[in-house]
Amino acid sequence: MFSDRQPRSFLDPAALARLAGVPLVARRPMVGSVSGRHASPHRGSSVEFAEYRKYVPGDDLRRLDWRAFGRSDRFYVKEYEADTNLRLMLVLDTSGSMAYHSIKPAAVPGVQPLSKLDYARRICGGLGYLASQQGDAVGITCAAGGIVRSLPARRSPAHLRLVFDVLDEAAPAGPTRLPDVLHELAETTRQRALVVIVSDLFMPPEDLASAFGHLQFRRHDVAVFQLLDPQELAFDFQRPTRFLDLEGGGTIFADPIEIADRYHQAVAAYLEQLRGIMLETGVDYHRVATDGPAEQVLARFLVGRAAGRSLR
Amino acid sequence: MTFLQPWVLAALPLVALPLIIHLINQRRFQTVQWGGMMFLVAAKALSSGYSRLRHWLIMLLRMLAVAGVILAVGRPLSRGWLALAGGGRPDTAIVILDTSPSMQARDPNVADSKLASGRRQLAQSLATLAPAHCLFLPATGRPLEIEPEELIDLPAAAPTAAPTAIADRLQTAYDFIRENAAGTAEIWICSDGRANDWAIDTGGWAGMRDAFAKLPQQVRFQLVAFPAPAVGNLAVRVTDQRVQRRGEARELVVRVQVTRTDVQGTPEPVTIPLKFEIDGVVTVVDLAVTGREAVLADHVLPLGRGAEARGHGRISIPADANPADNEFYFVFDDPPPRVTLVVADDDGVGRLLELAASIPPSKDFESRADRVPRGALATAAWDEAAAVLWQGPLPSGREAELVGAFLARGGQVIFFPPEHPVAESFAGISWRTWVSHEPALAPEQWRTDQDILANTLAGGALPLGELMIRRTCELAGEVVPLASLPGGVPLFARTPTGTGVYCCTTLPTSRDSSLAGEGIVFYAMVQRAIDRGLTPLAGARQLDAGSAAAVQAQGGTAAWTRLVGPDGALSSDAGFVSGVYAAGGRLVAVNRPLAEDTAPVLSDERIDALFRGLSYARISGEPGSGESVVQEIWRAFLIAMLVALVAEGILSLPRSQSASDGRSRSFAPGGRPLEEALA
Repeated sequence: MFSDRQPRSFLDPAALARLAGVPLVARRPMVGSVSGRHASPHRGSSVEFAEYRKYVPGDDLRRLDWRAFGRSDRFYVKEYEADTNLRLMLVLDTSGSMAYHSIKPAAVPGVQPLSKLDYARRICGGLGYLASQQGDAVGITCAAGGIVRSLPARRSPAHLRLVFDVLDEAAPAGPTRLPDVLHELAETTRQRALVVIVSDLFMPPEDLASAFGHLQFRRHDVAVFQLLDPQELAFDFQRPTRFLDLEGGGTIFADPIEIADRYHQAVAAYLEQLRGIMLETGVDYHRVATDGPAEQVLARFLVGRAAGRSLR
Repeated sequence: MTFLQPWVLAALPLVALPLIIHLINQRRFQTVQWGGMMFLVAAKALSSGYSRLRHWLIMLLRMLAVAGVILAVGRPLSRGWLALAGGGRPDTAIVILDTSPSMQARDPNVADSKLASGRRQLAQSLATLAPAHCLFLPATGRPLEIEPEELIDLPAAAPTAAPTAIADRLQTAYDFIRENAAGTAEIWICSDGRANDWAIDTGGWAGMRDAFAKLPQQVRFQLVAFPAPAVGNLAVRVTDQRVQRRGEARELVVRVQVTRTDVQGTPEPVTIPLKFEIDGVVTVVDLAVTGREAVLADHVLPLGRGAEARGHGRISIPADANPADNEFYFVFDDPPPRVTLVVADDDGVGRLLELAASIPPSKDFESRADRVPRGALATAAWDEAAAVLWQGPLPSGREAELVGAFLARGGQVIFFPPEHPVAESFAGISWRTWVSHEPALAPEQWRTDQDILANTLAGGALPLGELMIRRTCELAGEVVPLASLPGGVPLFARTPTGTGVYCCTTLPTSRDSSLAGEGIVFYAMVQRAIDRGLTPLAGARQLDAGSAAAVQAQGGTAAWTRLVGPDGALSSDAGFVSGVYAAGGRLVAVNRPLAEDTAPVLSDERIDALFRGLSYARISGEPGSGESVVQEIWRAFLIAMLVALVAEGILSLPRSQSASDGRSRSFAPGGRPLEEALA
């Protein structure tokens, strides 16, 4: 099915082949246009029994449960779950801060440090490919100071190539207005979708809370990959440093050794608050260090979702 | 603070090294493009006052540590908190010890006197300083080069009964430094600050201060002061003694004075036993001391019926804070004949002078006045005479030689003006012109505390105010007025050198004054001059230790043999050590001077003012302490440096290790890197 011959740096065919065995599933019913792998809010013709319902005139007599009529002398209709496809909407943060990559050697041997945007490309590309493979529609929105580029969700392989092109061409620049973008996306995406946000989320957590709530209100399944560079957590610079804001916010001169403790306190408080917001809004939240392989991140994401469905 | 290696202090700018390194580090910053600015902003906002304080404390402690090392290597010396004069090891140290009796006072709780404590402390201090040369200035003679430790037992530094003329010693030190010392000199003075030892009112101090300031060598002064008064101390002395006859027997009549040397508030009345010892016979008399001073007047001690009255004795009181003033030696003898030579141009005046000189004050005295014509002066009985009353032109030529020799051996001369003054001068004085006073003038002021017009022993003043002076002769030259008329016109005066030259600017005749008419003042003045002149003629003589008379007499032809007195004193110092000595056919008693019992302790400010403009430090000596007033304290600086380093290390520890928040630890370099954050 994947016939794109153009090499994509963010795609690892071997890893994708390994991940192909794990389906990408939504955590809530999707409203698709065609039959697919995902649960639908409507009753359908799958083999999975859903419930009994009293017969009303007009119902298809083939669905009558004659055995139940024989036992109770009443007419009941058997209903089955409907399976449909999903819309995967990728939201890629292309703000300036996504360009950061540490100069330290990677924690995992053999894995070169990537910028957060490079890492986000891998995740978005992988998910897009896997979703497309199972017949789901894939769209993408690049967010920075606003919506930079956007493609609606489509099922065709040609559309996937366009999505990959957008990923290829995405360049980090400008400030972050992700909450505004998410609000706009919630309003413009009418049908239910799996919204996957890949960002460093360097913004006030309370701004994100309302955006996530908005998406949930629109019955979208929201998943977030928060990408963090190891150096952004460790902050172990040894010399006085002039920090230039990648998003054009100015310069701060500081002795990292002197302020490391307070930096760590600020990061810890931020992450704690963010985790609380994710729990409150029911967002599928994944905190990712960019020095690890993206395949593991995708595998954990897919397996977690698949396990959630089996429990349903 | 002083340093034995002061050149090391040149490295003190290295104290700024931590600051410089900090600034260099600040300059060597790196530039990083950063995404998580929101955390940096929060971290900077969290930068509390304590953090800044900690930062600067660390910097300060590092600087202190560097300073501690430098100062310790400089080998600092502690000289007490007040001694802030700087300087290093001196090339020459000169020691001036106050060996006067007051320095033998001791605190009731300690065994050592001020002098002994001072000697030990100076010895220790100088041993620490280790100057190239250490000199001790004795009371007489050249400076002695000594090892610092010798100062403790140095005979020349033993206590004496004489005051210590600090100014004279400093002059000696100045002369020595100017002639010999090539390098830095340090003069160490140990004294209790008594006014009689320092004599700050004499005019020589300013000149000496200037002289020291102009020396090319650096001279530092270190005063080890023991100003604390001797608590509960009493001093005894015999102020007058005379032999009188009672039938065939002789009696010694003494006048004893007991003085409290430290009067603070209202003194408690005490009764002390006065113990007299004469030829082994001990007599004890109780004396009640209610105020600052008590006097036992005209106490009679029997002497027996021997042919000769000459003898000596001692009076003592029980031990107290200062043993040096608890005893007093006295000698006595039959008084010598009171021979006076009268030289007068005017017969009337001559007769009056003869009359005043020939009447003895007591029947026990043999008194005679010889009228000598000016042409027969060479044949006069100069050797027997105690005084000369001279009316007429001042002596000149051969006459001046005779009178000068007479004065040099202790005789007294009272000059009266001639009727026709001439330009002759003698002893720096000369007569000018007569001045009449209409109406007659009475003396306005006169010296009642000393000299020939002083109050009587009973305390009464001579009736000078009743005199009427009608004419005086102007006196030229430098004199010390003893009595003055209104307008400052001198009536009686003496030469400032105190060599026994007195002047009376009027004549006793009724035309000029009422001196003869009133009689008392004229008679007392003449008899007192005769008394003074008798002293060198007497077979027994009382001398103040260290006085010019004592030094001169001890250095004379007759060798002194100590009859009574402290053991161990050098024979060459006899004029400075109390005791009774046989000198030729005479007896000499040497005792501390009166000023030792009465002189106050000078305030610190007054003594400090003497060294104004010089490198000077005062160190409080501790009575009873043998410890050096100078101590090496480099260990304290090393300890301070270690404390600073430890404190710096504690402050430099990452706060995350002490923080209770585990989340913060997880991000710390070297901690669990990311697992917790990513969980």
